[in-house]
Amino acid sequence: MTSSFLSFEDKGYKDFISRLKQENEKLNAFNFIDENDKSGKIISVKDNICVKGMPATASSKILQGYIPGFNATVIERLEKAGFSVIGKTNMDEFGFGSFGLNSEHYARNPFNEEYITGGSSSGSAVATALIKGHVSIAESTGGSISAPASFCGVVGLTPTYGVISRYGLIDYASSLDKIGFMGKSVDNIREVMEKTIGGDPKDTTSLSVTISNKKPNKLYVIDNLMTGVNEVIKDRFEDLLAKLSAKGYKIEHTKIDYLEYSVPAYYIISMSEASTNLAKYQGFKYGFKVKDFSLNYNEFFMSARKQFGKEAKRRVILGTFIRSKSITQRYYEKALAIRHALIARMDKILKEGFIIMPSMPIFTPKISEVKDISPVEAYSMDMLTVPPNLCGFPHMSFPYFYEKGMPIGAQIITNHFNDYSLLDFLSEWESDFKYKFKEEIS
Amino acid sequence: MKIGLEVHVALPTKTKLFCSDLAYENQEEPNSNVCPVCLGLPGAKPVLNKKALEISVSISKALNCEITEKTWFVRKVYFYPDLPKGYQITQLDGAVGIKGYVDLNGKRIRIRRVQIEEDPARIIHEKDYSLIDFNRSGVPLNEIVTEPDITSLEELKNFIEELRSILYYQGVNINQELKTDLNISLAENRVEIKNVTGVRNLIAAAEYEIKRQTALINEGKKINKETRSYKEDSNETVSSREKETEEEYGFTFEPDLTFYDTTKLEIQKAIIASVVAKELAYKNEYREKTIRELILFNKKNLLLLTSLSKEEFKKGVSLIEKFASFGIEDYSEEDFKKMIKQDISSIEKGEFLRLLGKTSKYEEKADEKEIEKGIIEMLSQDKNLLKRGITDGKAMSFMIGKVKEKYHVTGKEAADIIKKVIKSMLNN
Repeated sequence: MTSSFLSFEDKGYKDFISRLKQENEKLNAFNFIDENDKSGKIISVKDNICVKGMPATASSKILQGYIPGFNATVIERLEKAGFSVIGKTNMDEFGFGSFGLNSEHYARNPFNEEYITGGSSSGSAVATALIKGHVSIAESTGGSISAPASFCGVVGLTPTYGVISRYGLIDYASSLDKIGFMGKSVDNIREVMEKTIGGDPKDTTSLSVTISNKKPNKLYVIDNLMTGVNEVIKDRFEDLLAKLSAKGYKIEHTKIDYLEYSVPAYYIISMSEASTNLAKYQGFKYGFKVKDFSLNYNEFFMSARKQFGKEAKRRVILGTFIRSKSITQRYYEKALAIRHALIARMDKILKEGFIIMPSMPIFTPKISEVKDISPVEAYSMDMLTVPPNLCGFPHMSFPYFYEKGMPIGAQIITNHFNDYSLLDFLSEWESDFKYKFKEEIS
Repeated sequence: MKIGLEVHVALPTKTKLFCSDLAYENQEEPNSNVCPVCLGLPGAKPVLNKKALEISVSISKALNCEITEKTWFVRKVYFYPDLPKGYQITQLDGAVGIKGYVDLNGKRIRIRRVQIEEDPARIIHEKDYSLIDFNRSGVPLNEIVTEPDITSLEELKNFIEELRSILYYQGVNINQELKTDLNISLAENRVEIKNVTGVRNLIAAAEYEIKRQTALINEGKKINKETRSYKEDSNETVSSREKETEEEYGFTFEPDLTFYDTTKLEIQKAIIASVVAKELAYKNEYREKTIRELILFNKKNLLLLTSLSKEEFKKGVSLIEKFASFGIEDYSEEDFKKMIKQDISSIEKGEFLRLLGKTSKYEEKADEKEIEKGIIEMLSQDKNLLKRGITDGKAMSFMIGKVKEKYHVTGKEAADIIKKVIKSMLNN
C-alpha cells in the first residue's frame, strides 16, 4: 500500500477547507483551521505544539491570542519533508483529561456525536477519522494518544520517551510528555515517524538512538491488569487473542507487581511537574493579558490564573501540595520508586514479547454519562494506558472490533527503542482487517 | 557570633546559561538579547551551557570542594515578575561542588555548596511603574554557600578578600557585581539580610547589624528571627516585615534537563587553571597581564607550570614572560625544561636564543628591501589578493600573517610595508 496523504492545488484546497469547516462545526476537531493555500501533504497538529504563525492555545483561555514565533522541531522537520499544517486540533486543556471534555468547545465522536472522543488528543483523533489519508501529530503524557485513538477508531502510536524532540511542545509533565501520531494506515504513520525521529540539540532529553523492529512471537497478557476491565470488552479481547494466535503468536499470561500503584504514581509525578510547568502563565507577556494595572502584583497575578479551567486548577493545587517540603518524601519519592520498579519489571517481559491489552477498560461512554463523574473515577480510566506511558515504553492502540457501530481498540507495547516493531505488527494486522470510518472528507 | 554567607557571582561565559544569547556583550538596548528560552515562552526548553559547567567545576575545585560526579538541577518555584518561567533553575542536593573550604591564616571557613543557577531579569523601578529587562534573564551564576563559620567582622573581611583573590583567577571579578545574603546571629535567633549588593555594602551591613544586635543584647532585649534589608543611603538594616514562616519553594527535579557527568567533561584546563591559580593567588608578585593572558588563558603554559615544583614555579612564570617578550611562541616542553635550568634573570635576546639553540630562526628581522621583494612575489602569484588589497580586511590580515611569520616583523610593520607595495604595484 502506498501512502496517500491529501495534497491540493490552489482551488481544491479552498473547497476542502469549506467542507472541513462545515464538519468541524459539529465535531469541534479543530481549534484553528488555516485557510491559506497549502502545497504539501496535509497534516494536522495538536494545539499544544507550536507552529510558527498559528495560534497555540493548548485549549486554555490563558493562552488565548498567543501566536508562537517559532516552530516545534517536529514541525520544522515535517515542513522540510514537504508536509503542510492545515490547523491545530482540539484537546483537553494542557492535556489534562481522558475524555476530551476539559475544553470549552469539546470535540465529539465522529461515529456518534453524543459520545465522547477520549482525550486529551481529542481533536487529533477526530481529524484523523474525518479526513482521508490523514495523520495528526498528537501528544501523550499518560494515555492521551491511546484513549482517543481507541474511542474514535484510528491508530495511535506513542513512541519511546525521548526519540522525538519536545522542543516547541507546551509542557504538561516534561518527564512524561511524548509527541506521537494518529493515523489510519501504517504507511502514512511510518512516513511521518521516519521524518520526525532523532535527537535534537534544542531538547536535552531527546535521544539519538537507532530504532529497531525486532519482532517477537509472544504476546503477554497481564492478568492483574485485566481485573478492572468491562466483562464484554474482556470477551472481545479474548476473540482478538484467538485471531492473533491463529496468525502464529504465542499467548502467555503473567502478572506484574506494583501495577495497582501505577495510576497514583503517574498522577503524583505528572501533577508535581505540571504545577511548575504552569507557573509561567502570569498574564503579562503573551496569551491572556490582565489589563487592569491598578492591581497589585498578587491581585494581578490571581486575575490571570483565574483563566485556568477547573481541572488545571486542581492539578496545580495538588501538584503544589505534593512538592511541599514536609510532604514530598511521602508521595513524590515513592512515586519515583514505583516508576523505576515498574520499568524493570516490564522491561523483563518486553525482552521476551509484546504486552497486549485493551486500550480502555470501558466502551465509549456518552458525554452525559461521564460529564459529572468524580476526578478519581475519571483518573482510574487510565489504568491501561498509564503503565507504558509512566515507563516511557512505545505503544500503539489499534481498532480491532466494532460493537454496535462503535470502535474498540487494543494496545500493544514493546521495549524501548523497538518502536518500528509496532508498525510491522500493524502492517500484519491491516492485511485482513477492514477499518470502518464515517464519510471521509477529501 | 556566627556569620554565614550566600554569595552570588556571575560566570565569565560568552552566552547565557540555557540559551545562546549573549550574556554580557551588547546589552545597551533593553530586551535585545532574548529568545524563547530566556523569555520562558511556552514550548521552549533549556539546554545547559557546558562552559558554565566547566567554570563551575573549576571554581568548586579552587574552593576545595568535592565535585558531584552526576550533577543535576532543580526548579525553585516562586512568583515574581522578573522570573519568566515562574521558577528559577538552580541546584540543591545535586550541586556541582559540596563540602569545600577556604583557609584564612589557620582558620578554616567551610563551604557548604557551590551551585549553578540562572539570574532573573532586571527590574527597573520608576516612580509609578516598573520595567523589566530580560537581557539579564538566564545569565549564569554560581551561588557559593558557606557554613556559619565566620566569627568576627575582621574574619568576614579576610574571607571576602580571599574569595576575591580565588575567584579572580577563575576569571570572576567580584568587584563588578556581587550579591550576597548575609546571615548573622549574635544570640539564639538568626537574622538574614537579603540581597546586599557589592563588597563595601556587605561589610557595612554586617558592621551595622553586629552593632544593632550587640545593643539589643546589652539592653537585655530579645533578637527577633527575621529578614532585613540593607539601606545604602542611611547605612542601616531595616526589617523587611516578611511573614516569618519557613520559606516554601516546592523544589523539584528539573525534568527538562538531565544528569551531567562531571568526570567526562573536558575540564582538564579548568582544573589545571585552578591548581595554578591557587599557587598564584597567594602572592602579589606577578603582573596581572602575565597571569591572565600568558597563563590562565594559555593551555600550553598552564600545563608547563603544573609540571614544576613549588620552588621552580616563580622562575617558570619569568621564563614564560621572557618567551613572550622575545616573540618566541613555538617552544616545546624540552625547550622549557632546558631553559628553566638557566639563569635568565637579566638575559638579552641574542644570548637567550643561543642558549635555546634557535638562533637561526629568530635572527634579526630581514631588511625592508627583502620583505618588499617577498611581498611582490606573493602578490604576483595571487592576483586576487592584489585586487582585494587593502580594502578587504580578510585579505589584509592573511597577508600580514604571512609576512609576520616569514620575516619576524610586527603586525604594524608588516601592514605598512604591504600597503606601500600594493600602492606602488597598482600605480604601475
